[in-house]
Amino acid sequence: MDIILNLLPHLLNGLALGLLFALIALGFMLIVGVMELINLAHGSLFALGAYVAMTIIDPNLSGYGAFGEWYMGLSLTLRYIIALAFAPVIVAFVGMGLEICMRRTYGKKAEYGLLLTYGAALVLEETIRITWGSAEQVLQIPDAISGAFIAGGMIYSNYRFFAAGFGLVLILVVWLFLEKTPYGSIIKAGAHDSEMVRALGVNLTRLRLLVFGLGAGLSAIAGVVLTPIWGLRPHVGVDVVIPAFLIIVLGGIGSFWGAVIGGILVGLTVGIVGALAPEWSLMSMYILLIIVITFRTRGLLGKKSALEN
Amino acid sequence: MSTSFAKKTPFITRPMIVLFLALGTFPLWGTSVGLYDYLGVEIVIWIIYALGFNLLLGYTGLPSFGHGAFFGVGAYSYGLFQLNVFESVWLAVAAGVVGGAVVAGLVACFISHRRGIYYALMTIAFGQVCWFVSMKWHTVTGGEDGLLNVHRGTLNLLVTDASLKDNADLFYFAFAVLVAVVLILWRLVHSPYGKALQAIRMNQMRAGFVGYNVWLIKWSVFTLSGAIAGLAGGLFAIAQESAYPDVMSLHASGFVVMMTLIGGGFVSFWGPVIGAIVFFVARDFLGSITETWLLWYGLMFMGVIIFKPEGIAGAFQDFVAKRRARVEN
Repeated sequence: MDIILNLLPHLLNGLALGLLFALIALGFMLIVGVMELINLAHGSLFALGAYVAMTIIDPNLSGYGAFGEWYMGLSLTLRYIIALAFAPVIVAFVGMGLEICMRRTYGKKAEYGLLLTYGAALVLEETIRITWGSAEQVLQIPDAISGAFIAGGMIYSNYRFFAAGFGLVLILVVWLFLEKTPYGSIIKAGAHDSEMVRALGVNLTRLRLLVFGLGAGLSAIAGVVLTPIWGLRPHVGVDVVIPAFLIIVLGGIGSFWGAVIGGILVGLTVGIVGALAPEWSLMSMYILLIIVITFRTRGLLGKKSALEN
Repeated sequence: MSTSFAKKTPFITRPMIVLFLALGTFPLWGTSVGLYDYLGVEIVIWIIYALGFNLLLGYTGLPSFGHGAFFGVGAYSYGLFQLNVFESVWLAVAAGVVGGAVVAGLVACFISHRRGIYYALMTIAFGQVCWFVSMKWHTVTGGEDGLLNVHRGTLNLLVTDASLKDNADLFYFAFAVLVAVVLILWRLVHSPYGKALQAIRMNQMRAGFVGYNVWLIKWSVFTLSGAIAGLAGGLFAIAQESAYPDVMSLHASGFVVMMTLIGGGFVSFWGPVIGAIVFFVARDFLGSITETWLLWYGLMFMGVIIFKPEGIAGAFQDFVAKRRARVEN
């Protein structure tokens, strides 16, 4: 009993972390599911979203006179909300640009798409380095969601729970979008049988563009919400894309709830191992993946995918 | 790669002689065109590494994206052997080869029944595990700093001893290893085993139906590729006089993939060679003009994937084919 009580806070933290991991995997999942494309630039889009948000929250507007003064006069909360709304839109357009570059690789081996996004990740990371410098930066958050509270002798960060709650809401919104709207049906149908969808008169080219934009936007949202926890460095992209990757494979490529369960499982594993042996917490997720994949080839809820050939 | 079965492939070919002559004389002309001996050492080591890697990617069509792990294990094996067991360059390099092969053989047990993207994913996961272990296992690997006390030592050549202190001497040693690797790999990919690798790349299921033991071939080629990466890693430990986790990171693993692809590993044995040379020349040339050379190299890589996925070797083959067609008309 004692052990369970001691572990409870770690379980709670792990669960919160798991929701954050699921949030990271969301945009990645969408692109993998519909386009059968491993988007290695996902992490860099995540980082780009966070950097753009940082600039929107605290821009250098000294040369812009009245507008600059008016903008900086707005409260931090308002600027944070503006950033949360607009940074993903900007990144979505970057993602769409990447999709246009991608078009020539469709119909070729899946590795080409993966490698192209790897190149894009490199380019985005270097661009971030040029624009914002290599040093660690801070993304400001409103006072209302900063700080910490104490419960049962453990300190919990407010922001962590805000982020986890945000993750939960976003997961539900994306699920509703995919399940309950005609757009969602088209996207899922496109993942299932793109040729038939095209035959039914859906503009597949535009669908892919939109899905990629949406996926990029989701990774940017994850970036804005998560960087106050993880810090903001140009190479944060690599730290992000690998867990996202792992969660998708763990959950099964193309499965929405697989990604969510995978994320929570990874969060719990990292949380519990982190409590017992902090040094090895990040490695535990790879061990988890290797164990699961050894016994369940297509992940927890995966179905057969064209990416296997 | 598209040689006909009827024609016997010679042991030594013209491109091979050109490469050996051009590269083997590097210390004689390198400095006079503004290059330096250490660059030659680096290029030779990475050519060995990329050639071994292309056995997987180009010949067998197996995307291994965590290959830096075996390179790193080779480097650590070299260092640990030299520091803890016995002071001999030959044996320490052999330890690098064995280290790379053992770890790759273990990893291959887990992944050889997979294909495509799942294969790629598993190699990334295992690569990350190796990287983490090297970072965290302080007592053995020295953590993030790595093994620092590795030294170059002297090479026992039976009749005489050669010190590897000087970069030019080290270059000749690495170059001799490269010659051996090229000759062996060339022979290997033109042997029945090499044909079986290509059969697996083209259609794994059919290769199985014909009677090849696909799992065993995939396992053995991964192990062999890991052994060659370990060999390159051992040489790298000599050159750097240390072994550190950085070479095992996802980025470093990505570099060898980029080299192999830009050079044209999918269509030519020589693709990785071209790719490694282009990579280092680009690093030095672009690096001297701009600090963000990786941006430009990344853009170049994207351009290659979009417009010419067969790489430089593919472009060259197209050029030759076009000229031949023109001559015939």
